[in-house]
Amino acid sequence: MRKAAKAVALLLSIILIVSSLAACSTKNEGNKGTGATAKPTDAPKATDAPNGEEPKTGIDTSKRVELQFYMLGNAPKDIDFIQSEINKMALEDLNATVKFNYTTWTDWDQKYKLLLGSGQQVDLIFTAEWTQYQSYAKRGAFLPIDDLLPVAAPVLNDFVPADMWEAVKIDGKIYTVPATYKEYVTDGFVWREDLRKKYDLPTPVDIPTFEQYLEGIKKNEPDMVPLSMNSDMKTNLSDRLRGISHDPIGAVGYGLGIRYESPTDVYPYWGSEEHLNDLVTLKRWQDNNYMVKNVLSVKDTLQDQITSGKAAALLGDNPTRYNDMVIKIQAAHPDWELGYHPFPMTNGIATPVHPIHNGFAIPASSNNAERALAFYEKMVTDKRYNLLTQYGVEGKNYEVKDGYYTMIGDSNSNGFPREAMNGWAWRNPEYMLFDKNYDGVKKIFDELDKIQVPDKFTGFAEDYSGYQAERAALEQVEKQYLYPLTAGLVKDVEKGLKEFMDKAKAAGLEKIQQEYTKQWLQYVQEQGIK
Amino acid sequence: MKIKEDSYMKGFRIVAVIVIVCASLACLFPFLLIISASFTQNESIIREGYKLVPSVFSMEGYRTVFQFPKQVLDAYSVTVFTTIVGTTLGLFLMTMAGYVLQRRDFKYRNIFSFFIYFTTLFGGGLVPWYILITKYLKLTDTLTVLIYPGLMTPFLIILMKNFIRSAVPDEVVESAKIDGANDFTIYSRIVLQLSMPGIATVGLFLALHYWNDWFTSSLFINDTSKYQLQYYLYNVINTMSFIAGMGAGTGISLGQELPTESTKMAMSIIVTGPILLLYPFVQRYFVKGLTIGAVKG
Amino acid sequence: MLKRNGLLKEFKTNWLLFLMLLPTLLFFLLNSYTPMVGIYYAFTRFDFNTSLFNSQFVGLENFKFLWKSGVLLRLTFNTVGYNIVFIVLGNVLAIALAILLSELRLQWFKKLTQSILFLPYFVSFVILSVIVYNVFNYESGFLNSTLKQLGAEPVDVYNTPWVWIFLIIIFYLWKNVGYSMVIYLASITGISDEYYEAAKIDGANILQRIWYITIPMLKTTFVMLLLFALGSIMKGQFDLFYQLIGNNGMLYNTTDILDTYVYRSLKVTFDIGMSTAAGLYQSLFGFVLIMTVNYIIRRINDEYALF
Repeated sequence: MRKAAKAVALLLSIILIVSSLAACSTKNEGNKGTGATAKPTDAPKATDAPNGEEPKTGIDTSKRVELQFYMLGNAPKDIDFIQSEINKMALEDLNATVKFNYTTWTDWDQKYKLLLGSGQQVDLIFTAEWTQYQSYAKRGAFLPIDDLLPVAAPVLNDFVPADMWEAVKIDGKIYTVPATYKEYVTDGFVWREDLRKKYDLPTPVDIPTFEQYLEGIKKNEPDMVPLSMNSDMKTNLSDRLRGISHDPIGAVGYGLGIRYESPTDVYPYWGSEEHLNDLVTLKRWQDNNYMVKNVLSVKDTLQDQITSGKAAALLGDNPTRYNDMVIKIQAAHPDWELGYHPFPMTNGIATPVHPIHNGFAIPASSNNAERALAFYEKMVTDKRYNLLTQYGVEGKNYEVKDGYYTMIGDSNSNGFPREAMNGWAWRNPEYMLFDKNYDGVKKIFDELDKIQVPDKFTGFAEDYSGYQAERAALEQVEKQYLYPLTAGLVKDVEKGLKEFMDKAKAAGLEKIQQEYTKQWLQYVQEQGIK
Repeated sequence: MKIKEDSYMKGFRIVAVIVIVCASLACLFPFLLIISASFTQNESIIREGYKLVPSVFSMEGYRTVFQFPKQVLDAYSVTVFTTIVGTTLGLFLMTMAGYVLQRRDFKYRNIFSFFIYFTTLFGGGLVPWYILITKYLKLTDTLTVLIYPGLMTPFLIILMKNFIRSAVPDEVVESAKIDGANDFTIYSRIVLQLSMPGIATVGLFLALHYWNDWFTSSLFINDTSKYQLQYYLYNVINTMSFIAGMGAGTGISLGQELPTESTKMAMSIIVTGPILLLYPFVQRYFVKGLTIGAVKG
Repeated sequence: MLKRNGLLKEFKTNWLLFLMLLPTLLFFLLNSYTPMVGIYYAFTRFDFNTSLFNSQFVGLENFKFLWKSGVLLRLTFNTVGYNIVFIVLGNVLAIALAILLSELRLQWFKKLTQSILFLPYFVSFVILSVIVYNVFNYESGFLNSTLKQLGAEPVDVYNTPWVWIFLIIIFYLWKNVGYSMVIYLASITGISDEYYEAAKIDGANILQRIWYITIPMLKTTFVMLLLFALGSIMKGQFDLFYQLIGNNGMLYNTTDILDTYVYRSLKVTFDIGMSTAAGLYQSLFGFVLIMTVNYIIRRINDEYALF
């Protein structure tokens, strides 16, 4: 045992030495971190570029820099060529080159965390509400660009409307540049229209008619599964159901309910009569075999199940994806038809996409904030940059026919299909080219435009650091007790619901709900939301 | 050298064969499913599931994979390179370490063994290691980062140490020392030859580790031409699950065609294929160690 | 002082050995010990703008989520339980297969089956989970289709928690036994023929030869594998569980382990402190266990201990 004690002592001393060395170096990093936030105030001083160069953008471009640009997803095959073309221009305009980096979809959220949390040199990074923009911004992961904008990117500053800048503010500061393209990602029923006609079933416009359609499919097509569903119970089943039935203001978390019409009235949805009724409906769906029994283990996409003919209807999908399904089916099964009914047509809440939905931010660790912002301005407002990075090279990757985007070759031979750089954030409505197939979506958007209302919810940034532990614990409880309930697999719904509520409360649900409600009400008051 | 066989042997052999055959079938079955699926039309997979014989034969999976052969070939060359270099270098370092650690006359062997082993118990986690590699060592997008972290693991070092200890009798080492050889010569001339099965095993595992690695690519490589094979496969598969997981609210419609089930299966075969050939190759070395000279006690 | 003198003296006599060991030591110092300072994250509130050592110290706050959901005990039980079964069954099977294989005489058969038994190691769990789903799903799975054809009732495997205990064990063994088997095979190859010849001359039959020679010779390997496995006893077989079970909450009681729990909980937050805290819990558990077991083994036979 003496030997082991010696060993442990030796080890501890090694660890101590190493950690104090590391501490010294990280302390320096800490100063750098605070230095970055001081940068925006330095920028206005540098309006006179030294070396007598023409100040093109009002910032100091004397030192050549390489910008690290991070985007989600996979890079297109032709990315290297596009990158070199862009760099030719960027070198001239801004004395900067850019490296386009893609996280791929493998572990993208972990990489996102690492990119921001490790203090790595990242100059531009994609943001959206589904990448937790609000939470990251609140915790200080991004640089506030309010002061930088008029200096480094005045054209961009004017290009984005003032109400959009307002909408992306977190705690009064702008942390991301929003995309200005207006679209809708509202849900809608999707179903096999050819089958509906064949069996003379009602058109789904709300839950009761949707259910009738499912029943009709079950009776007449025994080999098909009526409802396309997978293991993501919350998003694909529960939220969608609430979306069409309860006029929610948005995807409110933690089992709270807020109706669109009454933002200040926050009621507990979980455990309520409303919730119980929904669960009973879902159980009925399961008992009637509208969904597969093992739905909790299904990993297929909802859309694949429809396009392959395995399922007949989808509870909710957005117009763009619906259109994609239509196109896919046209190729393989021309005799099939798909029908779409947007939820807003039934409940009147058509909210266009919130500005936060697609944006680009500058992480706090960036050393080239001004140049990064100026470069991003070029990406959005300069037609050459924009067309190159959205569609590729004209004549090689695409052509413009009758004002429509036409891809050259097919998706397998073309090295840069439409928007292959995932440039959703830097779309410029003035330069956008659409595929002829997209007309279907545009039609739906036009319909929705007629009844559009503002998005009151997405701008809310929740700070969950006060109830982090409970939040993590609640995840577990949800997956274990709520998901089976939602899938209709629990025999006694009332008892199951009670069990879930008990466990949720034990995990700290009430604390979470109280805190969240408090923050939400404060937000509503500050923003003057009615 | 005729060895008398006893009656138990026959019965034993029969039992052995039966058990082995059953186990082999169990191992083979899922593999056959994958091969079959890689040759099946995608739609029929989603509709009817996997079958041992393709219901609708199609080469579409393989065709999609080889549409852009450059990427697959790049990934292949990167992986082959890192596997060969990493395995050779790693074996060299680990056999030395294993040899030193098993020397009974090396007083501090236990402390050093513990030093190495301790790293499997405690760790700072992903973030500090990530920071170390990206910020301080600046190894992002290099081939070095694909080779360096996997060079040795405590498990393989200790495994090596055990193999060497059981394969190299102390007397051989002692007699070599008497003949005036220094430690390194002993190592290179004697130890390496006697421990062949051990080296083959550790080498195999190390090569497998490099071949199957996708994690280092995922974290540190942005340049698509430097992706490792498994990572390339994972991306294909994960693009699918990402789309399945994200609700409609993200509004993402990808410009590219989504990879299909049959493509996934075809990719799995392409990625796994070559390494399967490595094992039979390595089997050659699973032979009894040669005893140099007669050192009979 | 005594240690210093001893070390220097040792260094002088065996300097070449030290040199040979040096690259390995440096490797671990750099790659494993330097990042260990990150353990401190477990005790701080993570902030993007301050460095690790300037972060706010919050004590055991980050560990709270582990026990808040009330499942920590069950998770620990599941994790340890599965691992023990994996270790025992896995090694017994691997040893058995290795011994059986080593006694075969037909070379081509031996080589072929060795490769086949090793195959499953290459099948990633991602793909395996798809295959499993195809076999066991209620409506159209291979199992139920066959049952229906035979006129029997279909079974709902995915919603039956206790079945999965066996399924998980079977799939773990399927994938990993080949790996351990190779190690044991190599060890058996290293056993000198002389022992067997001597035993045969003494009249020992095959079973006796195995019991008295082969198995004892494999003890060192077994203990080594055991100790390594014990050290990671709180860490998962994450891939196995996550891919096969995924979001199926009905099966969590019997199949959820610490790794999958932590992964799911922390997916919704980017707090590095909490994930480090979870890792620390796993490490401490394994550490205490290892030190105890190694001490016990050392008392039995000094040679077998890991250190």
